Amino acid sequence: MKEAFIRSREFLRDLWRISRSDKGAMAGGLIVLGYCTVAIIGPSISHVSTNLTGATPYLGPSLRYPLGTDSLGQSVLSQLIVGTRPVIEVGFLTAIITVSVGVVVGLVSGYVGGVADSAIMRVTDVFLTLPGLPLVIVIAAIVHTSNPFVLAVILSLTGWAGLARAVRSQALSLRGSDFVEAAKMQGLPLSNIVGRQLLPNVGPYVAIHFLLAVTGAIYAEVGLFLLGIAPISGTNWGLMINSAMSNGALYTTKSELSLFAPMAAIVILQVSLVFFSRALDRVFNPRLRVQ
Amino acid sequence: MAAYVAKRLLMALVVIIVVMSLSFFMVRLMPGSPMSALEAQLEQQGGLTPQQIQQKVNIIYGLTPKGPLLPQYFSYMGHAFEGNLGRSITNPGETVMHVLAGALPWTIFAVGVALIISFLLGIAIGSLMAAFPDSWFAKFTTFVVSLLSAIPNYLVAIVLLYLLADTYQIFPLGGAYSASVKPGFNLPFIGSVFSHGALPIAAYVITSFGGWALAMKGTAVSVLGSEYVRAAQAGGLSSRRIAQSYVGRNSMLPQVTSLALSIGFLFGGSVFIETYFTYPGLGYYLIQAVDNRDYSLMMGCFLLIAVAVVLSNLAVDLLYPLVDPRIASPAASRRLDKTTDDGARPVVVEGSAAA
Repeated sequence: MKEAFIRSREFLRDLWRISRSDKGAMAGGLIVLGYCTVAIIGPSISHVSTNLTGATPYLGPSLRYPLGTDSLGQSVLSQLIVGTRPVIEVGFLTAIITVSVGVVVGLVSGYVGGVADSAIMRVTDVFLTLPGLPLVIVIAAIVHTSNPFVLAVILSLTGWAGLARAVRSQALSLRGSDFVEAAKMQGLPLSNIVGRQLLPNVGPYVAIHFLLAVTGAIYAEVGLFLLGIAPISGTNWGLMINSAMSNGALYTTKSELSLFAPMAAIVILQVSLVFFSRALDRVFNPRLRVQ
Repeated sequence: MAAYVAKRLLMALVVIIVVMSLSFFMVRLMPGSPMSALEAQLEQQGGLTPQQIQQKVNIIYGLTPKGPLLPQYFSYMGHAFEGNLGRSITNPGETVMHVLAGALPWTIFAVGVALIISFLLGIAIGSLMAAFPDSWFAKFTTFVVSLLSAIPNYLVAIVLLYLLADTYQIFPLGGAYSASVKPGFNLPFIGSVFSHGALPIAAYVITSFGGWALAMKGTAVSVLGSEYVRAAQAGGLSSRRIAQSYVGRNSMLPQVTSLALSIGFLFGGSVFIETYFTYPGLGYYLIQAVDNRDYSLMMGCFLLIAVAVVLSNLAVDLLYPLVDPRIASPAASRRLDKTTDDGARPVVVEGSAAA
């Protein structure tokens, strides 16, 4: 417990030191943090009214509607705020599933080796070649769910394979190291060797891939809502763009805000995640740190 | 070499069989599956005996809901291998294969051109960034390129559509060529094809060349720091020769391997880009089919996209030994295996579902 505390303090100190020298990474981290905060408290500080009587469409920015209103007369800003949670929620859930499956499959396959390893890797290769997005679209069209957990499972169907391969090659090189040999000779069970000996050594790698998995999941999720494949319910950025487009946003300049505000929200989040992952990369990768 | 080719061919075949089986089980077995939905719909319409309903369902899917599972599976697979994917539900006069045969060339054209442009552009920019690492050019491009590659391609498509096709009407809004030209090998047709393809291709290129540039820069920088390059410099080789055959060739290796993965990514992106530009390729028809609940067309599109991805992966795999002869020679690949896993496949996680 104490050791974990010291370790996480060291990690934070490194992160802070590197973030200070890399402004882009620091900004990225802060923005991601901001998004998460909005996702948590958003629905309680703002709400989207479903009562549309007396609502005026396409209002310009004002004190009451800082980003104006959309084609139905709903506040664009409140929709943005309320729509943050579903996007972040599914993004992180998908990344958690993708990364857990990828890491477990990769570690076990690399450590066990032999026939099991070849078999697992062939299956992984199949998943790696399947075109992920079309598969997700087809399944989402048949299952038709807006349940965030089910959506996350669908979105992580193929993503784990790439990570599993990468983790496996790391496990292969760790397998021969002294501490693993020692653990094996003590007769520790597989779960211990994989979980306590191998896992901490691939941790850094996994952390970076986690963030990239979040961006991939958000890309696919927003895309599903954008195309109207996931059922239209609730409020999220994909649906906002979808409704702006289907109400003719391309043909009128009045709706610029309702079209471009959610797009900006997505782009800023994606770019921040990528920049933040760069800082993590440096913290964990001492060779890069020297540069 | 023969063993390498055989292994790759077998792998491609296995993936195609898996995809076909997946599509069979999705249509046949999933709760609320397309087939039982169609059955229920026909029952509701009334006026048909149960036999007639079964017959109608059979015409569209080539399957019946109540038949035995295993023989149906084999007959479905047999039909699929012959290219018989049933009929479109919304347009029963046309076979799915006929619709897809018209769509496939457009997707291959747009995706292929986009892939070549973004690969070459990315490699060129990445090499420049590695060659002048401390210049303002490298810093500026690194920033721009990481920014661009983080933006989802559908958003770029919307912005291009908004700016160039609508507000400043430079490019046509949709379609693959205009109705006024006659398809064939003539200048107006080719010109029309390229002006219609320009925006979709631009949307792919803008969002994907950055990845190549960053990857190329990364490997080139590490190759530049390696000892054999320093030895070549010390030996007095011309910098041109070092750049071409020492740094260039070795930094290209990982890029060629990730070509295979990025093909799948581009085909996936075609779903969004073709839909927004109403570009009549596979991705466009996939979304059309989803919107119209035309499941036989939907599964056909998915199947063909998967086959296209598998075959282009296969092509890259078979071309790879030309770039790196070690891959196909058993002795060398054993040596590689020990050090770098499979050697052949690098790992690029382009994002979970997107890759």
